[in-house]
Amino acid sequence: MTDNLKVLTKYWGKINPLRIEDYICVGGYMALEKFIFKMNPEEAILEIKKSGLRGRGGAGFPTGDKLEMVARNSPCGVNFDYKIIPTSRDTPQGKKYFICNLEESEPGTYKDRLIVDNNPHLLLEGIIISALSIEAKKAYIYINGNYEKQKEILEIAISQAKEKKYWGENILGSNYNLEIEIYSGAGAYICGEETALINSIESNRGEPKIRPPFPTEAGLFGCPTAVSNTETISNIPWIISNGGERFARIGSKNSPGTKLFILSGAVAKPGIYEAPTGINVRKLIDQYAGGIKKGKEFWFAQIGGACGKLLLEKELKAKMEFCVGTGRDLSVQMGSGSILVVDKSVNIHDLLISWTDFFRRESCGKCVPCREGTFRLWEIAKRFRDGKISDRDKTAVEDILWTLDNTTFCPLGKFAGTAFRDAITKNILTF
Amino acid sequence: MDIKINNKIYEAKENETVLDVCRREGIRIPTLCAFEDLLRGAVCRLCLVEIGGRLTTSCTAKVCEGLEVITESEDINKARRINLELLWADHAGKCATCKKNLMCELQKLALEYKIENFHFIPRKGEITGQEELDLIRDNWSRVVVENENPCISRNSELCIECRRCINICPEKKFGFNHRGSAVVVGTPYEKVLDCSFCGKCIEVCPTGALTDKNDYVKIIDDLDNLEKFSVAVLDIDIKEKIKKQLTDITPEKNLKKLLTELGFEKIVEVEKENLEDEIIRKIKIEYAKHEKINPDNIVIFFISSKIYKKKNLGKYLDYVLSEREVARLVRNKEKIGKGKIHPIK
Repeated sequence: MTDNLKVLTKYWGKINPLRIEDYICVGGYMALEKFIFKMNPEEAILEIKKSGLRGRGGAGFPTGDKLEMVARNSPCGVNFDYKIIPTSRDTPQGKKYFICNLEESEPGTYKDRLIVDNNPHLLLEGIIISALSIEAKKAYIYINGNYEKQKEILEIAISQAKEKKYWGENILGSNYNLEIEIYSGAGAYICGEETALINSIESNRGEPKIRPPFPTEAGLFGCPTAVSNTETISNIPWIISNGGERFARIGSKNSPGTKLFILSGAVAKPGIYEAPTGINVRKLIDQYAGGIKKGKEFWFAQIGGACGKLLLEKELKAKMEFCVGTGRDLSVQMGSGSILVVDKSVNIHDLLISWTDFFRRESCGKCVPCREGTFRLWEIAKRFRDGKISDRDKTAVEDILWTLDNTTFCPLGKFAGTAFRDAITKNILTF
Repeated sequence: MDIKINNKIYEAKENETVLDVCRREGIRIPTLCAFEDLLRGAVCRLCLVEIGGRLTTSCTAKVCEGLEVITESEDINKARRINLELLWADHAGKCATCKKNLMCELQKLALEYKIENFHFIPRKGEITGQEELDLIRDNWSRVVVENENPCISRNSELCIECRRCINICPEKKFGFNHRGSAVVVGTPYEKVLDCSFCGKCIEVCPTGALTDKNDYVKIIDDLDNLEKFSVAVLDIDIKEKIKKQLTDITPEKNLKKLLTELGFEKIVEVEKENLEDEIIRKIKIEYAKHEKINPDNIVIFFISSKIYKKKNLGKYLDYVLSEREVARLVRNKEKIGKGKIHPIK
């Protein structure tokens, strides 16, 4: 398999994203037709399982397994102490939901936005197939409130697809029915977490819920729900058309496929690049982004947004994967796939303030270690601006990083200290 | 089913949580957000225990056959200490003058876990100098104080965002406003609290963030004033409630004696539900006439959990005191009486 295989970006810039005909011309919605006329839902899920596709939002949960869990769960058949909040819009009886997570707010990550900008129908086709495969009657697209233009593009795409009977009642004349709704959030980072996202659609405060029950058992309005990232879903049409086995042969063995990588910072050609998984960071920087910008000296790279790990020069051979530590080679959790290259002219203390300020702002405030801990890290980072730190603050930082890692309610808190910790342990920061 | 806690075997029922079992068996686990049967949010992160080598909140961990739990370890203590310290730094900590002094759950835990070596700059405290003023500018915290409603004093300086009031309120008056470290528990758009004033939120508040509203200086003045004839009207079930607040009530030192020491000249008990208005009216009119006391000099205290009566005292009633307020008066009186606190002359 060559490095040039493009699953997601093949038609970017070549078709007009606002015209469904353009997409159909290049074979669009063929996967949906194949699914409807030649497959049953179980076969589709099996194909996705075979592909080994993992969630592209960052956690890397196997998508096929998630869809299968929801497909197997009877609607509202799980008996949990979960209080269903009835709303006039929905009655939870006998329903399953599929949610497309377009709440992209990781700093330096804009892959989902570009998917919508360049090929919204690819995403829509993926959503329809995924939703039908779990027998959901309704699919939500939960979009970041700041993505106003993308919302408009999606609205156009959705109405075009409805005219062509790709969704709605009796899709393409079959017995399949599906409703699609765009739900705009308010741009909170935490709402990218699936249970917080569900809370938000349920008109509750955007904050994570206790698990179990997992959304696959009792999610939106208490019904089995699959929440998938936009990029993940955009892979589905290709998998259905070309088969899971072919997909599984692309890239890394334990997390196959291609991935959108976003390179920013001190590289010659910052931007978005599609490359097979398992690629190492150095190759991405040198071959895709044109190497380090002239006159700059590489210092470290941050992988996967504000919550990502830091890699030093000697660690750049690390492979970008979702399952870290399974292979023989050094690998790094690719997270959302963004790579921030930091050169030696950057003031690390300013960066530190920027990281900590982000998490202080974006913590939902629900649990103590995250609410207070992220605030204190920011406060200390500001005092640390001149490079001097008191013993009292040093102990405090160590304590906070430990409690964030071990005791927070949801992953936001757990990852809020990653960059700070790496900066200390890798001697990027004189501490 | 059997589960193992600290290497001892305990019986547990289906659907119970580890915290439920520990509470029943008397195994100490500190909690600030889990209160009796109230909805568990797992937000305070103090009830952490070790299950399979990982820290887990015991308030949400359901039991299962063969579960092994450890409730005390170095890591658990470390986690509790750090999280408590973080909370304490977000709390105004004006203990000596706080209405909840000695009854505050946070204060008790801070003592238990010896929160002494303090790492964080308090962000809700009083400012004493320029340096602190500079720090607090960055360290600013949103504080909401509301004393405009008739029954409940709200002060978010002391709030630790445990959510008990949010979860218990039958009218769903409270919620989280803002987010992250700027979170404040309050009413929508910070409007003045207007509800039926059942007082449940005050009952469950672990700190002094929600307290009974009253003019204590005036109350103590009236009680100490020899010209005033103070009458305590005890509501039907209030005795038991006061006993819960005051652990040192003994047969010799019973409630009547305590109230007399506080300065009440007469104590009347309500014997039937909802008869208090009738009794209060009788005291002010008939009793005053019979005893030849000027009705203006009779001060009537209704001692009851019905704090909503503060909203509309009526013609004859002067004060409503809840069980918590009576207990507080007794505690303060005792301290002064025993010479622990010397009134400044």
